[in-house]
Amino acid sequence: MSSIEIRFSGSGGQGLITAARILAGALTGEGRHVARSQSYEPVSRGGLSRSDLVVSDDGADFPLSTRLKYLLILDAAAANASDGLLDGDSEVLVDAELVPNPPTGDFRVYSLPFTDTARRLGNKRVANIVALGALAAQSGLIAPDVIRRAVEAASPKRFQRLNLEALEAGQQMIG
Amino acid sequence: MTRTMNMQGNQACALGAIEAGCRFFAGYPITPSSEVAEQMAAQLPKVGGTFIQMEDEIASMGAVIGASMGGLKAMTATSGPGFSLKQENIGYASGAEIPCVIVNVMRGGPSTGMPTRPSQGDIMQSRWGTHGDHPIIVLAPASVAEAYHETIRAFDLSERLRVPVIVLIDEVIGHLVETVDPGEAGQEHVARTFASGPAEGFKPYAITDDLVPPFPRPGDGYRSHTTGLTHSETGFPTQNPALAAAALNRITDKLVLHNDLIERWRVREADDADILIAAIGISARAAEAAVTKLRAEGIMAGLFRPVTLWPFPEGALLGVIDKAGAKALLVPEMNQGQMIREVERLVAGRLPVHGLNRIDGEAITPADIIARVREIAP
Repeated sequence: MSSIEIRFSGSGGQGLITAARILAGALTGEGRHVARSQSYEPVSRGGLSRSDLVVSDDGADFPLSTRLKYLLILDAAAANASDGLLDGDSEVLVDAELVPNPPTGDFRVYSLPFTDTARRLGNKRVANIVALGALAAQSGLIAPDVIRRAVEAASPKRFQRLNLEALEAGQQMIG
Repeated sequence: MTRTMNMQGNQACALGAIEAGCRFFAGYPITPSSEVAEQMAAQLPKVGGTFIQMEDEIASMGAVIGASMGGLKAMTATSGPGFSLKQENIGYASGAEIPCVIVNVMRGGPSTGMPTRPSQGDIMQSRWGTHGDHPIIVLAPASVAEAYHETIRAFDLSERLRVPVIVLIDEVIGHLVETVDPGEAGQEHVARTFASGPAEGFKPYAITDDLVPPFPRPGDGYRSHTTGLTHSETGFPTQNPALAAAALNRITDKLVLHNDLIERWRVREADDADILIAAIGISARAAEAAVTKLRAEGIMAGLFRPVTLWPFPEGALLGVIDKAGAKALLVPEMNQGQMIREVERLVAGRLPVHGLNRIDGEAITPADIIARVREIAP
């Protein structure tokens, strides 16, 4: 299998790196090799933030992204930051509310209500987990019960239920 | 049973050090190496070791040397200007033959540079940063797994040969998280040879066949003297030309004598390469991907990757070039051209050597290398 590249992007504080770490851990548990890199600005909130996964069966030669298969964008700050890494095979998932002007090109773009769904669940800060659910379902890279266990294990007790609801809401966005 | 886990490059250096038996770390955290200190602070107390955050890089290097003189396996970690600050004490460790390991997660410069961006700007400083002719070993891992295993080897070499060993990684490898199989924990590792036998007439820097004198452990009763001044076999300073030359030649000759232990390199598709790429770290990972793609379009590219960067695996490189009948060399590196100088020196005009350089804070990509190889392809 050639490698599959996934990027979580947005602004600092949105939990992008957390979501990427959960997915990476779940994929590793399934026997995949994952290279995870991240980039953020020297501020605790705001600024461009991203985390990339390069998923392969036996270790990627080059561990950084060169052509994204899946791109998640949760903030307008990141709307066009990855344009050079997209091609006709890419699939882009953007937050409908925070990314009003998603990238345009010959790739597929899905505008989905991550933030709005999180807010309706009671805390807009779980938008990252809603998005993770959607991304997991869209990619088919990981079985629903596996990612569910990974989110459960990564959540502090008091957020477990909320995070699992968020994950499920995200999974249900993909028909 | 495997213990496969996701591990960060900097974390791998720390966990490798603990596995190797490191029980002392002194440091002054600095981006992009800080996670090494963070991990050591968390892990060392669990194994009865000691972590000290010192007031600066100079003091932390001094503390590491002191701990090692006391008999412990000791390490520090740093980046950029911190590596510059440690140089004087690294020279002391090299001259007085105090084992120690220094992790340097390279940061571009000059001065404060770009703290969070990748660079390979210390290829020359890691070899020549401290003054005078001196022995030093530099290991250059290109993956997280290799960072773990090469840090263990750094301790083995340092203790066996009484020489500072630098683990040189770039920010991409340092902050990358990869799936690693660290193998069995609690393996036997190389222990320093401590002095034994009669204390009477003991010479702490005796010139033996091995060229590595046994280390007098404090408290074992051996009279010894340690100094940064050039010293004779007694350990006391000398300006006697014959004694000074013998002492200085011994400490560099010991690495030549034991080169079989030190030298390590890897190749990919090198046997029949027309264009041989020589690279380390993340630039070598980009070259691996580039070689595969270039071969698919019929360009005979190959990779030579020094794992031990210094002493440079010169016989190995020349052997690979000869065997392949290579027609050109390409040296991609995140600096304005450092490793290329060593490569040019070795091939001495026998074939063209081309550079590919980035100093913009971005890693060299497979596409960069593919484009450059197409330009220079014979």
